[in-house]
Amino acid sequence: MIEVLSSFCILVGLVFGFWGTSSLLGSRSVLFKLHNLSVSDTLGSISIIVGLLFLRPREWPLLLLAIISLMLWNTMLGYVLASCSSDAVKNQHDVLYFDPDFEIGDES
Amino acid sequence: MMDSYLYIIIALLPLAAMMVVFQTNPYHALVIRGVLGAIAALVYSILGAPDVALTEALVGTLLAITLYAVAVRSSLVLTIGVLQEEFEIEDQTLDFQVLISAVQTSLDPYYVRVKLMPYADLKALDQALRQQEIHVKVYGNTISNAKLDEIQIKSYQLVTRLNRIYEIIKPDITSALVLLQSSDLKEAQS
Amino acid sequence: MTSVMMTVLNIAIIAMTLSILIPMYAAWKDEDIWQTMLSMASISTKSSLIVLMLSVLRDDWMIGVSGVIMISVGNAGFMLLAHILKRMGEA
Repeated sequence: MIEVLSSFCILVGLVFGFWGTSSLLGSRSVLFKLHNLSVSDTLGSISIIVGLLFLRPREWPLLLLAIISLMLWNTMLGYVLASCSSDAVKNQHDVLYFDPDFEIGDES
Repeated sequence: MMDSYLYIIIALLPLAAMMVVFQTNPYHALVIRGVLGAIAALVYSILGAPDVALTEALVGTLLAITLYAVAVRSSLVLTIGVLQEEFEIEDQTLDFQVLISAVQTSLDPYYVRVKLMPYADLKALDQALRQQEIHVKVYGNTISNAKLDEIQIKSYQLVTRLNRIYEIIKPDITSALVLLQSSDLKEAQS
Repeated sequence: MTSVMMTVLNIAIIAMTLSILIPMYAAWKDEDIWQTMLSMASISTKSSLIVLMLSVLRDDWMIGVSGVIMISVGNAGFMLLAHILKRMGEA
């Protein structure tokens, strides 16, 4: 019985993982991919680890630590990546010299 | 059958290594080096060496990537010496901005970025070029045209001491570009 | 653990390994550095999960410890690298 439950959890985790990473291949924006990836990766990983926890309850401190660090780090990494990538895009527009369409005689 | 996953996982390691080797953009190569580190740690720990895997994750991925990033960032820079009056963006003329952006465009395929460095006068600028503090110096001459005496045109001149940079940026700019011969440099130093 | 469950875990590990190939292809193909960073974070999470699954399959405590450390250290390293890359875009 416990093995069926654990297999189900691992299967759900795998499906989540494949669904989230397949959005990496599309041509949407970085933030959309980041959202999909962080949600599906975190939830899928936690589901797989819960499945493993059913299978071998003796290793619970290790797996619990894995769940906690996944939750904390993935959220933080998602935030840092989002803020860094959007800052970089904003700064590209701030740089003054790059206006390739501007002709020298335009201001007269 | 039971250990067939071993072969699939180990096959990932040469794949990631090939990706690092054939990547030409240094910044992307850095990130893919992180991928290689993660997969190497995975392979080491499934082959029963968790201590090596830990060392790979801590040193190979964390420390090496940070050091490489600092090295790439500080070495792939072309320093252009300019006069103080042209350093601030508000003071730059349009011609100057077009010139700098043309230089940046010609350096883009080599992933080199341009950095401006201000100097007080022409003498200090020349000194810096000869002492290899900067790669290229830019200075403008004001030309008063007799017919259009209202308008003052500034023509810019670039001087570089490196043959390779001369070859790269020569086709892309319209301003005068002078390659300083190495004999000139030696003469100035002696 | 029954042999059926071991086969299930084996298949799950193989599926996980195949799902690593998707972000590797994305990292190879993409021009944008931030998408490469995303695929790298995904690969690192997946590889540490494989290590955890293996530690359960083999009942090996040491491999599990190294998997947990790989999760936390890898993510910390990516945050550092993301900040350095951001500074590169600024300067």
